[in-house]
Amino acid sequence: MTAVAAKPAAGAAMNPTAMGVGVILVLILLGICWFVSPAVGLMALIGIIIGGVLIGFGVHFVPVGGAPAAMGQAPGIATGVAMLAAGGGLAGLFGGAWAAASGQDPIVVIITGGVGGGLMMAITCMMVNFVYVFGMGIPAASGKVARDPITGDSQAEYKSQGTEGHGLPFVSFVGGVTGGIFAGAGGTLIYLELLNLYEGALPTLMQLKPEQVVPIAVSMAGMFAVGMFLVNAVLTAYNITGTIEGPHDPKFKRWPRAIVASAVASALCGLAAILIVLPLGPF
Amino acid sequence: MEQIVFGIGITALTGALATVAGAAEDTESNIGSQGDPNSQVQLAPQMGFLHRIFNKAVAGEPPAYGLWCCLGAGLAWAFMAMQFNAVLAIVLGSVLAVFVQGVYATTAYLGRTASLSKFGQPVYVDILKSMTTVTMAHAFIAIFATVSLCQLINGALGHPFPLPLLGLVWGIALGAAGSATGNPYYGKERQYQNQKFGAGVPISASGNIVRYAEAGERNSIDNGWFTAKIGGSASGICFGLIVFLELWRTILFDQVGAGWGSIAIGILLILIFTVVDRYIEVWARKNYGPYTEAKEASS
Repeated sequence: MTAVAAKPAAGAAMNPTAMGVGVILVLILLGICWFVSPAVGLMALIGIIIGGVLIGFGVHFVPVGGAPAAMGQAPGIATGVAMLAAGGGLAGLFGGAWAAASGQDPIVVIITGGVGGGLMMAITCMMVNFVYVFGMGIPAASGKVARDPITGDSQAEYKSQGTEGHGLPFVSFVGGVTGGIFAGAGGTLIYLELLNLYEGALPTLMQLKPEQVVPIAVSMAGMFAVGMFLVNAVLTAYNITGTIEGPHDPKFKRWPRAIVASAVASALCGLAAILIVLPLGPF
Repeated sequence: MEQIVFGIGITALTGALATVAGAAEDTESNIGSQGDPNSQVQLAPQMGFLHRIFNKAVAGEPPAYGLWCCLGAGLAWAFMAMQFNAVLAIVLGSVLAVFVQGVYATTAYLGRTASLSKFGQPVYVDILKSMTTVTMAHAFIAIFATVSLCQLINGALGHPFPLPLLGLVWGIALGAAGSATGNPYYGKERQYQNQKFGAGVPISASGNIVRYAEAGERNSIDNGWFTAKIGGSASGICFGLIVFLELWRTILFDQVGAGWGSIAIGILLILIFTVVDRYIEVWARKNYGPYTEAKEASS
């Protein structure tokens, strides 16, 4: 079948076979991890998969308009999906890592990461509307819904001629903050799991005192968390294909695909991150 | 108590550095024409509008600044390990990172413009000579301020991440804040100054960017001058607020209620920004009014 003959992809269409293959791949990777390290490694990998899924799900909420938004031709924030989510999520990871270093409870650390991501997105989204309204004299209007699902404000008459809308309607603002919270919490969870694993495994592996390995463990866990963050954010950007307005956009319904894909990618990356510190006994 | 006062002082300083970094980042990206609005600079010759605007979308602003700030921070960290003074190390690290930015800018301009040769777009050597150094100067300010704030966060406030990793994290956040806030102002307000004020650019006008200035042809330094006034300062405030409030809530409230204090303050700040955003949205709807009648728009 050629590209011309192919049917246009329906936004929310799911491919059950691909989803099934994805789930089987996750189980295989979990099985490998269980075989190598049944206790510590498997728990860490499960945490990493949950973190990756949170990032993948969260990125769908972030209203991204890409290049058309930069000309006021489409609603959303004028930058790339993966990039904006990474900015918000990494700001969350920064806060989460700090809370982890001061010895807070893991739940507090993860929530701190989430709130950090949400705060970054709240400030950014507010400033986007500030520039649209006070810098360019353009009110916010959605191109995908007739009324804002949260405030009930009508949208169509505030769309300027020849555009699909502009700025960030309130539902998009809320979506941006929600996305930042999920992404920040997910990134922090991955960091925390890897940090605990490395702090436990590195002293034996490198024959150093536990306090000596802390800088190495923090650096390694931080790098892997940033890397896995970008993997999941870019993967989701492919699922969104370009731009999305937020949770009210029809493209938002595609999230189950991204969840499976994020789980597979996180499992594979997480396995690599775990295997580098585990002595492979049988081999 | 002294520790808290010291922390607040450092937090204020990092906030100020972040504000400078955000403003310089957006102005650099507008002079260099990086980010989403550059799609129009690339498109214009294909629609028959030849221009003298710089054209360097090396990558999205966040990964580009992630690279340059990480490079600057990594090199500064290496110089400090060689017992260099911290200020000198940060300056040297930022200078070397800026050279990488300059190489990217040069190759991007030549490569992107040469790819438009079939549409008759010339490569202007004078543009390359005069604009590249200006983008490099602004990039230096942005990278230096970001690496300095990372050093303060790591050295004075005791964040566990090493300097290069902080450079990567805050470089990506800097690019995200600067591109989100500054791009629409450059893309719509400056490139399409010939379109109606107070409305988005009609899709049919794509590529018809403004190419003439008060005297002669417009170049990218004119764009930097224009966007520095609102786009640049708004980007600076955005990144400054992000860095300042994130540090402020951690420094003051991290030890309150075993960490729940900083979470509560973070949620409170999110709610405040939500209210401000809603106020701005409603203010615009009331004061600017609809473009068409509600009936006409829905039909």
